[in-house]
Amino acid sequence: MCHQTVSLVANAIESAGIPTVVMGAAKDIVEHVGVARFAFSDVPLGNSAGLPHDIGSQRDVLHCALRLFEAAHAPRTTVQTPARWQGDDHTWKRDFMNLEQLSEEAVAKAKAEFERQKELANLNR
Amino acid sequence: MADLRTDLPEAFPTQPIRYLDRTRAWYSALGYEPYRWPHHDDVPFAPMPKPLAQCRLGLVTTAAPFQADKGDQGPGAAYNGSAKFFDVYTSPVSDPADVRISHIGYDRHHTKADDPNTWFPLPRLIEAVEAGTVGSLTHRFYGAPTVRRVRSTTEEHAPAIVQALRDDGADVALLVPT
Repeated sequence: MCHQTVSLVANAIESAGIPTVVMGAAKDIVEHVGVARFAFSDVPLGNSAGLPHDIGSQRDVLHCALRLFEAAHAPRTTVQTPARWQGDDHTWKRDFMNLEQLSEEAVAKAKAEFERQKELANLNR
Repeated sequence: MADLRTDLPEAFPTQPIRYLDRTRAWYSALGYEPYRWPHHDDVPFAPMPKPLAQCRLGLVTTAAPFQADKGDQGPGAAYNGSAKFFDVYTSPVSDPADVRISHIGYDRHHTKADDPNTWFPLPRLIEAVEAGTVGSLTHRFYGAPTVRRVRSTTEEHAPAIVQALRDDGADVALLVPT
């Protein structure tokens, strides 16, 4: 939802005449909505701004995003940042929301928890 | 439903995760209708008004200000719906709110979420201003609520953020989802 929200907000800001860059980790969601400029990091969700405890990576990712402001000349411009997940064996890609790893019981539990959290969130509306 | 489970992540592990397929399969398994992800055929593009080194930049985040009475929001916290917010908020850049991500479905298995710089690049942005890469920052940053209902984003939250950016004299905006 995060990447969708930000992509929609980016479009509203662009429509108001203010250039934007989205720094994100969910490539397909941002590109499906469509944004002007997108700095994509192929890392687990939660790390759009660089690797944890790695200031060099955070600087690299930010500078990649900032350069895009002037480098892009048309909408839907995506660049990939240099961020690589530590010891990247891509297991994080296998594991995220992977139904194959869940029993039916675990799926039922996930549903109950989803509904419970939705109710908790709605108390803040 | 079997066809919804064909996003074999191990088949092409060098490719980015297909979150649209993955979440669709996940919520179908939980018994929900497929979510209709919005898509724009025409994407707006505003040209740069001047070099970035002369621009005032506004930062937009989806992270939530820490609230002591709303349960565990620390590193490794389980998904915490009660930490979610539904109105746009702003916070001063000179004394920023402590922003957390326990209300977001990030990767809790492979990510510890113990370094806020991975989702909130304000300290790095301040360095970029000091280095002269960016002209300046708006005096506050902007929090965007993450909700499923697209119209809430497009009709309420986005206009509020646009207005705040205008009020603050932003020339450009950097948006960082979690």
